[in-house]
Amino acid sequence: MTSHFTMMVVFSLLVSLVFTFIAKTEAKERARYFLYLFGSFILISIAVGWLMYPFPF
Amino acid sequence: METDAVQQEVDAPCVELSASQTALACAAAALVPGLGHAVMKKWDRAVVFFVSIILMFFIGVGLQGRVFGPDFTDLFSSLKFIADAGAGLLYWMARLRGLGVGEPTAYTYDFGNVFIYVAGLLNMLVVVDAFDIARGRKS
Repeated sequence: MTSHFTMMVVFSLLVSLVFTFIAKTEAKERARYFLYLFGSFILISIAVGWLMYPFPF
Repeated sequence: METDAVQQEVDAPCVELSASQTALACAAAALVPGLGHAVMKKWDRAVVFFVSIILMFFIGVGLQGRVFGPDFTDLFSSLKFIADAGAGLLYWMARLRGLGVGEPTAYTYDFGNVFIYVAGLLNMLVVVDAFDIARGRKS
């Protein structure tokens, strides 16, 4: 596993799962919250990656 | 049937445990991820916390991250140790078995470190969650 993207997806998946089970108790709520967290992790990471692209370091 | 079981869990009243039971649950949670919830029969959370945190820790070790030892010479070294040690017995087992030596020249070294830090930090959150459940603040 050396791809940055794969590592980011695995990280997001595991952290979202733990946060979801800490924050929510009902199954439907958990599913919705997990997708929201996981999606946010991925989208924000990609957005920040693009914003950082022109940085000279 | 499954909906009924989920509904029962949602409707389960918040039960406050005694101080000694709370201490036991928190200690168990601090030592092994998910064990505190297993003690309180919160099986779904126990399994998820156990699998996720252990997986995260060992992925970090596999990515050649370093399990930082007790070093209080500067603030960042202390914080690295505290974050890593949050994983409980996992941390000490890794230290005793010589795992997580870390290879700073490896491409994945920083990623590995982050996985190990976050495994420890998530376990600290899990301990707080176990405390809240034991004190009857949540079901």
